[in-house]
Amino acid sequence: MISCSILNESLANNMDKMIDDEMLVTQFKSGIQKAFDELMKRYERRIFSYLLRSVRNYEDAEELTLEVFFKAYRALGSWEPKAKFSTWLYTIASNLSIDYHRSKSRHPVFTFEDEDVIEKRLVATDISSNPEKQLEDKERGEIIRAAVDELSAKQKEVFMLTRYEGLQIKEVADTLGMAEGTVKIHLHRAIKKLQTLLQPLWENNEI
Amino acid sequence: MTKCKISEAQVIDYVIGALDVPSAAEYRHHLTTCNHCIRQVNVLKHVLQLVDTAEAEITPNAIVLTDLNSKLYRRLAEEPLQNASVQSRFTDFISRLGLILQLQKPAVVGLLAVVAITITLLVVNPFDNEPTFEVDQTESANARIEQYHHQGIQRSMEDVIRNKHLRQSDEWGTVSQLNRVKDQAKGTDWATLANKHLKGVSSKL
Ligand SMILES: [Zn+2]
Repeated sequence: MISCSILNESLANNMDKMIDDEMLVTQFKSGIQKAFDELMKRYERRIFSYLLRSVRNYEDAEELTLEVFFKAYRALGSWEPKAKFSTWLYTIASNLSIDYHRSKSRHPVFTFEDEDVIEKRLVATDISSNPEKQLEDKERGEIIRAAVDELSAKQKEVFMLTRYEGLQIKEVADTLGMAEGTVKIHLHRAIKKLQTLLQPLWENNEI
Repeated sequence: MTKCKISEAQVIDYVIGALDVPSAAEYRHHLTTCNHCIRQVNVLKHVLQLVDTAEAEITPNAIVLTDLNSKLYRRLAEEPLQNASVQSRFTDFISRLGLILQLQKPAVVGLLAVVAITITLLVVNPFDNEPTFEVDQTESANARIEQYHHQGIQRSMEDVIRNKHLRQSDEWGTVSQLNRVKDQAKGTDWATLANKHLKGVSSKL
């Protein structure tokens, strides 16, 4: 048993470089718990960032991240790889995020700063009438994120997955259960809408 | 200037790098003559840059997910899975050994060292009082958490033994590592074991 674990340590040290996700899944299925720890180590930050962008709240994002891995752990034994492991993980995260927003049934809450964010939201929509206003970087960031949250759920998902999670169109299609063409349409609309919403931020400056 | 016939979708695809290489090259050529497109490309790049910056602000480089592993296992312990099968240690050992052999080809020396230590440990068996923990799906949540705790101590203990064999000269290192295990193992049989090893190493210093 001791020797098993020594081998196991040695195994873990080599996991980073040499084993791909799908091999780790196979290891996990054959009873090696550590393989799941390695998968978690590989993806916990990515899944957390993705959920943080989705729900805009640290505590909830952390809780949902745990939920993603809990569900993954429970389902992995019977999971048949039709797509990449990472895609499957994002599917779980995406579904949880949809449930989260459904249960909140309102706009994401900004807990990074203060409750006066709502006021800033109003400024964001009204900024064109105050073009002279110099925006602090912080405020600017909040306004921009508020614009991102104005996207439809699908537009935002597609935008986030391609832009920040590095997923290809095909992978996003697999993750969200959409046709590739549909993913592209959502992506184009998302970017177009961001352009329209954020126009007041730069229209006084020459680009 | 004639009106540009390039579609908005194509401009977006160009900006996000979704055009194939020939199409992108063709469009770049078009950009040398079309002010409308140049402006549109710049606007889109600027929009995306603004959004990237804003999104980067909320995801700090050093995301600290405190103890996600143990939270997960605690959660799993609280909601035991039905009908889970437990692999025998022997099968586990064989599969691990198989994987090691598969992985370590380029590091034959390292592998030999690991095997040598393994054999030494199997023969000498310094853990004759080793507590055993069988996984039982019907165990209470607390027992499962306790089990993970013991496994953690066991891993630390194995670390000490391995380091002791690999770095024979660094006895101070071994002592401090053993002291840490002793702390971690407070109130368990492992603490006694750590103490035994500690006495052994200390007597050489
Ligand atoms: Zn043009």
